[in-house]
Amino acid sequence: MSARKTSAPWASAYRAALVVGGGALVIHLVIEALFGAPVPGTVLVTLPTVALPQTFAGVRVGGAVTAEAMLGATYLGLQFAAIVASLGAANALASPARLLKSVPGAVYELGVAVVVALTVVPEALAQLQQVRRARRLRGREDRGLRGIAASLGPVLHSALERSLGQAAAMDSRGYGRQRVVSTGDRRLTATLVLTGLLGVLLGIYALLDAALAPGLALSVVAVGTGVALVGFTRAGRRVTRTVYRPDPWRLPEWLVAGSGLFAGVAVMLLGATGTVALDPTTSPLSWPPLPVAAVLVVLVAALPAWVAPMPPGVEVGHRRRASAAAASTARAATTPVHHGAPGPSEVAA
Amino acid sequence: MIRFDHVTITYPNAAAPALRDVDLHIPEGELCLVVGRTGAGKSTLLRAVNGLVPHFTGGHVSGSVTVAGRDTRTHPPRDLADVVGVVQQDPRQGFVTDTVEDELAFGMESLGLPPDTMRRRIEETLDLLGLADLRDRPLRTLSGGQRQRVAIGSVLTTHPQVLVLDEPTSALDPGAAEDVLAALHRLVHDLGLTVVVAEHRLERVIHLADRVVQVDRDGRVVDGDPATLMMTAPVAPPVVELGRFAGWSPLPLSVRQARRAAGPLRQRLADLHPADHAPSAPVDAIVTATHPVVVQGLDVAYGPHSVLERLDLLVAPGEVVAVMGRNGSGKTSLLHAMVGLVPVAGGRVRIHGVDPSSVSARDLPRHVGLVPQDADDLLWAESAAQECSDADRDAQASAGTALAQFDRLAPGGDHNRHPRDLSQGQRLALALAVVLAGNPPVVLLDEPTRGLDYPAKRRLVAELRRRAAHGSAVVVATHDVELVAELAHRTVVLADGEVVADGATATVIAASPQYAPQVAKVLSPQPWLTVTEVTTALAGVG
Amino acid sequence: MTASRPTPALRLRTRSVAALVITSTIGVLAFAWPLLVRPTSALVERSDGPWLFAVVLGLLVVVLLAELAEGGIDAKAVALLGVLTAVATAMRPLSGGVTGFQPLFVVLVLAGRVFGPGFGFLLGGTSLFASAMLTGGVGPWLPFQMLAAAWVGLLAGLLPPARGWPEVGLLAGYGAVASLAFGFLMNLWFWPTLTATGTAISYVAGAPLATNLHHLLTFTVATSLGFDLPRAIGTAVLILFVGRPSLAALRRTAVRAQFAPTVAWTPST
Repeated sequence: MSARKTSAPWASAYRAALVVGGGALVIHLVIEALFGAPVPGTVLVTLPTVALPQTFAGVRVGGAVTAEAMLGATYLGLQFAAIVASLGAANALASPARLLKSVPGAVYELGVAVVVALTVVPEALAQLQQVRRARRLRGREDRGLRGIAASLGPVLHSALERSLGQAAAMDSRGYGRQRVVSTGDRRLTATLVLTGLLGVLLGIYALLDAALAPGLALSVVAVGTGVALVGFTRAGRRVTRTVYRPDPWRLPEWLVAGSGLFAGVAVMLLGATGTVALDPTTSPLSWPPLPVAAVLVVLVAALPAWVAPMPPGVEVGHRRRASAAAASTARAATTPVHHGAPGPSEVAA
Repeated sequence: MIRFDHVTITYPNAAAPALRDVDLHIPEGELCLVVGRTGAGKSTLLRAVNGLVPHFTGGHVSGSVTVAGRDTRTHPPRDLADVVGVVQQDPRQGFVTDTVEDELAFGMESLGLPPDTMRRRIEETLDLLGLADLRDRPLRTLSGGQRQRVAIGSVLTTHPQVLVLDEPTSALDPGAAEDVLAALHRLVHDLGLTVVVAEHRLERVIHLADRVVQVDRDGRVVDGDPATLMMTAPVAPPVVELGRFAGWSPLPLSVRQARRAAGPLRQRLADLHPADHAPSAPVDAIVTATHPVVVQGLDVAYGPHSVLERLDLLVAPGEVVAVMGRNGSGKTSLLHAMVGLVPVAGGRVRIHGVDPSSVSARDLPRHVGLVPQDADDLLWAESAAQECSDADRDAQASAGTALAQFDRLAPGGDHNRHPRDLSQGQRLALALAVVLAGNPPVVLLDEPTRGLDYPAKRRLVAELRRRAAHGSAVVVATHDVELVAELAHRTVVLADGEVVADGATATVIAASPQYAPQVAKVLSPQPWLTVTEVTTALAGVG
Repeated sequence: MTASRPTPALRLRTRSVAALVITSTIGVLAFAWPLLVRPTSALVERSDGPWLFAVVLGLLVVVLLAELAEGGIDAKAVALLGVLTAVATAMRPLSGGVTGFQPLFVVLVLAGRVFGPGFGFLLGGTSLFASAMLTGGVGPWLPFQMLAAAWVGLLAGLLPPARGWPEVGLLAGYGAVASLAFGFLMNLWFWPTLTATGTAISYVAGAPLATNLHHLLTFTVATSLGFDLPRAIGTAVLILFVGRPSLAALRRTAVRAQFAPTVAWTPST
């Protein structure tokens, strides 16, 4: 993770995700401590008991805090935190602009909308400052929140005007050209999507209701999702755009994606076949056993740290720093460069 | 290449047509200049070329518009994107991505060109417009001239045959404007593009034009050879006005042509002097505590970046001072410091002996008024009339003051229109009226002439002169050399946050090639700045 | 100003509506599964129910958004979508800390009202997505947040017609309810991950609906009511404040944008 960080604003998402994950863990522990049902076990500390009124009958706040309960909560909290952290890492490493370039055809327009949004946000914030200052020129200075609220009007107006100018420019540059798709084709795509969605709905219902065996229900869900995705891909064919400098997908990218996938599947299999206890028991109290197989698998997932290509900005930055650049090139080097090589990299949590 | 055939365009819900019975043929490879008063229909004409009118805006069109053989009736704008490239007035509005290279590629991506072609064309365009070392820069960090060139580049990559530009140089300083116009010149002469340009600052472009299309108030259009049309045009650059006055034939369109014909005129003016329009009080009077504007040793910095360094400026009552300089030289920061909007790192600023940053917001309109670069920042009411009454209340002035001011500057403006629906000149008039409601003795303006046509500029000049004659001190930060020549008693030139020149306007701008007005260049070494000076002097002789 | 609504920015075709309904049902199940699941279901034993739903729902939300965009969204709607997403996203840091306004919802409610339910749905999705990207808030909760916010925008477009102050009042009330509902839904999402060793407020797999509901409500009151209630009130107050001028500005734009431009051609004589 640290080997591939850039200096963009979302790169601090990893730290934020760790904080969130840690916070969730703490919440788990606190809730367990406050609301835990009395279970026999090694007592760590006894909190004062408060009996809540009749509406919350049966809930006792406080009471004995047992180590087993804490441990159980820790395991759950860690699970949650791990997922959050890995997603945060992915977010930190992926530049939105580059991601949006590779957006699939069917949601191209929405991708453009998000790109426009990301461009307009700093402008809107800058203009907010400008308008707040201009208010002083007319003899009004509402401090803090009132000032901001009153300045929103002109910012909104400018933003809306800008959108019309933007639309005219986009139209003039050829945005919105579409391949002509026959009605039959469109009907087929619609059928695929709707059938797929229905399939997923039924599958989930079956899963919840235990009407079918879980494996069968899950496969219905998977098939339904697959069909819907096929329809989705077909729908994307109407968009006729090409991508300038598309991110290449070569051996390093395959290795990165492959290692992550391998790790995930392997852990699931190990857990299902019982080789490894994924949900360790909390009583009797003991250290969770460290399964060797699972550790090896997780190490495979750490492969991207060496294999994944550098994001362009970081690489350029290293080179230029090394060659004692002039002030202007140093400034250019710290600006993330949004084109060229690699795809998303998955990193072990 | 472009053919308008009996075209009449009426917008939805409009009372009168915007363009009436337009018959126009622009052959290939010409640079065509579109002139006319604001709101006369220039934009409609330009937008009709690529089909934005009526496919985007709606409207009733009779007749046909054909571009490169394609009729806009059957071709919406996206189908004309490979033939017509449109650059808007504010390039920022047209930017979809956030770096230069991606922006250049967007048009080609939308057209579905293969990546190899895209690579090649981007390199060509970067070289053509001199943008090669800017390729990785975020668009936000570019200067005005660079932005404009990127905007032009982004529509050039689709290899159009026609380029349409709406006021490309209005926001640019003279140097950047020169760059953009030189690029356009190259496109026309080297690449054979057909270029249609709408511009208010005719003095910059008229000598490049092969054809002039004049749009009148009622929507009718007259086109022809520039020299012929300029003989009778209601709006004309100073060189043309001078030529018309002196009776030169053929009418000169550029400084060079004018100089050749100017010999006899210079002889007539040899013993005359321009009328002295210096302010009533001498410039280097003793600095009193209540001098209108006193700036001493001013330092302004944004973080580690120093914007103004040890700046001194004095303005006497009744004096009009112009502040000129490149974009980024600190003009706006100076004005902001004078109203207390930016923190002062060193030195002092006093407005009539008072530090502006210590004045409460309520009292500020009665001490000093600033019309910022973006006048829209000041306007937030639903109608012009309400804006004015709000301003009267804020400034504790008698009701109707601001509205009267607005009417003076923009006669015939609709009071009930939403400020955003007003034309550029009317918006400026409204902003000025709002700021002047408190009758401040110091008036500051930041780039007021962007997008103004000549009549609106004349009204602005008259109003500011009136204020100065009544004793106000006026400071104008501007690129517009002709405005400075008409209006300012004194000119201060800033570069990199320091004062480079400070003196009487005639002295400072006549000598500089960058900032000299057209009349000065034509009649140099004589000290004439404007056509009015010449005509008054000769009229005085009798 | 006519009493009828201006042309919506996004037309909803039958197939899009069908996809919307089905996916929303899936979404409801994805949110409420702890309350509906049978004791014999496989989800009860495993602790990774939420993650399954996150992945599936994530994919399906994308499919649904694509389906709504089917046939193309024209440049005006896209530009407006982008700009309003930007406004909503820029507001998120201004949400005054934990207890405070939820300005993002204000933009969502007002825009959904003016530009129609389809546009409101898309705006909800894109603004949550964009703000997550910008603030690094991408997590397993994102598809759920996107769907919930999209519902807020959708329903805002389906509110009954009204004008003037009654309209603002209606929107303010809806904003408060939507804010509370959003908070409740996100709680509902977080709640099953607390399948700890039987706390009194945690989820008990397979228990009767009443028991689980009871636990859920206690959980809500204990953890987030202190945040949700002021946020809902703040949202309503903000709508009351800026509602009228914002609606006017948005409607002006809707009229100027001419989503279905009236184009008339007369042949040349």
